[in-house]
Amino acid sequence: MKKKLGSILVKLLLVLLGAFAATFTIYMFNLENKLIYYVIRPFLNKHYDSQKRDRRIV
Amino acid sequence: MKNPITAFIDKKLQRFDPIWRAENGKGGQRDRYYDKTGIAKHREWRGVHDTMADYLAWLNNLKSMGLMVAKAPLPVIKGIWEYRWMGSYLGTFAFIDRLFEGFRGPELKIAHLNMHAIVQSLTKKIALVLANDARLGGGPLTEKMVPMDEVLPPLFMCGFPNLIPIPLQTLPEFIICDIDQQLEPYYIDIAESFGLAADVCSRCSAETGVTFNDDFPIIGKALLSTNMPCNASEATSMFQRRRIGLPDFPVTLAMIHNEPGAHPYSTQILRDAIKFIEEEYGEKYDWDALFERAKQMNEQNTIELEKWDIFKTEYSALCGIAETLYRLYSWASVNGQEDYFTKVDRKVIKIMRRCYEKKHKPFGGKTRHRAFLWGPSAVYYTDFPTWVQNCWGINIVLNMDSTMGHNMISTEDPEQAIKDLALFSEKGVMRHHAVGGWDNVNAVWDWAKNFNCDMVLMNDNVACKGMNGVHAMMEEQARDLGFYFIFIEHDLEDCRTVSRRDMRNIVNNYMSVVVGEEPLDPTLVDFDDSEAW
Repeated sequence: MKKKLGSILVKLLLVLLGAFAATFTIYMFNLENKLIYYVIRPFLNKHYDSQKRDRRIV
Repeated sequence: MKNPITAFIDKKLQRFDPIWRAENGKGGQRDRYYDKTGIAKHREWRGVHDTMADYLAWLNNLKSMGLMVAKAPLPVIKGIWEYRWMGSYLGTFAFIDRLFEGFRGPELKIAHLNMHAIVQSLTKKIALVLANDARLGGGPLTEKMVPMDEVLPPLFMCGFPNLIPIPLQTLPEFIICDIDQQLEPYYIDIAESFGLAADVCSRCSAETGVTFNDDFPIIGKALLSTNMPCNASEATSMFQRRRIGLPDFPVTLAMIHNEPGAHPYSTQILRDAIKFIEEEYGEKYDWDALFERAKQMNEQNTIELEKWDIFKTEYSALCGIAETLYRLYSWASVNGQEDYFTKVDRKVIKIMRRCYEKKHKPFGGKTRHRAFLWGPSAVYYTDFPTWVQNCWGINIVLNMDSTMGHNMISTEDPEQAIKDLALFSEKGVMRHHAVGGWDNVNAVWDWAKNFNCDMVLMNDNVACKGMNGVHAMMEEQARDLGFYFIFIEHDLEDCRTVSRRDMRNIVNNYMSVVVGEEPLDPTLVDFDDSEAW
């Protein structure tokens, strides 16, 4: 029982450590902003520019 | 007492800390950025403790955004696809990074407490509005929402507990213009393509562009518009009410409101607005519901006044953009409606008291000047208060946005409460500032003196008809009163007329030529961020 609990705790710790390593890397190297600036926004802007809007004064 | 392990790591890694680099002539904050884009190669190394604090705050904000998507996955995706302004919200993380560049210790902690309050509130509001936007399919609360003009403080609407007041322009224009400088020129061009004058306030012009482009969410059964505080605003109000096509009531609060005779007029207008909503929505005004929220607003204002006492000293851990952006959002958009903000205020004032007792000087005591700032949106998308502190050591003690209505609202007597609400609402965005009468503008000297400032920074919206005439008078008064005084031209939300770089150069010239000082961080003096959000 003790051994099983210990192994669960070790696995949990490894998962947490992995999650920390992944998110901290994204954070420190500003990866999410690079992705948004260089990939997502240009794609969305292209879409917005091709939209047909109901553009009128009233 | 610093932990010896983190102290050891900090020492080993200090060459990556931009503040250390600037102090030792090895670079500075701007080294981290790709040219023009405003995108950093990596985030700021602030030492172990503060980097972890910033990382945890980033995670916390990420969580709020995740919750927003989880709450209304389809409407949020549809919203991003439908509305150009929704795409701009993706720049929020970069915006927060820019705002708190160079922040350390309690300044950073407070800044993130305040900023997370905004993020969690805004993400909930976005999910709520999109999930009930009739354009995207609507929802159970579509007709329970009351679209109202963003410059009307929504507190008086809390007497309708079954309705949800939504400041209409806040999501597509007011907040987002601070996050992405490239967005509003698109809407301004649309307004001008219909032949509208190009020399009006660009905020009003951008709102008009949102209207013409059919980019407002469709919510509610009736609209509360307002006389708004300037000529261009009146036009945009008119275009919006025509295009939105809902029954509307213009809440025309007194403009020159410092005269006592104005208050009964504003009080009556609020009564009429309440009656209009009762009729249109079939709801009865509940004074007890109002009193409940007024208690929250009163507590927030009581704490705010205590903060002001600390601002007057050199030991305030809350300053600059962390102070002004929070107050602007919590006052103009939340306005007593969310308990979360009262809780944050309680936490922040505790930290501020502690810092005051310890005589903690913000920014490592490197502040050279204390400035009162008279600045609107252009100070946010340019992260101006942060830049002036990091580059020239000018601490923005208070901005004009923080001076809005701070009178207490009666929580017992409906007659007194409505009078208090009128006074409170008259002291709203811009009405209390540029166009509420000369006394409000002239008050900058009293504000600056009361907060022990030696400098006044005055943003000059080149298209604002209300402020165009005061430039020379303010210059003369600054000379007579002995303040350092910088008039900073900007075109509010149109970064093409006066760029961020131009605005910074006005300060650079004044600080180097008139004051004769050297920058704290030379990499921040002149750089190109024209392609940044």
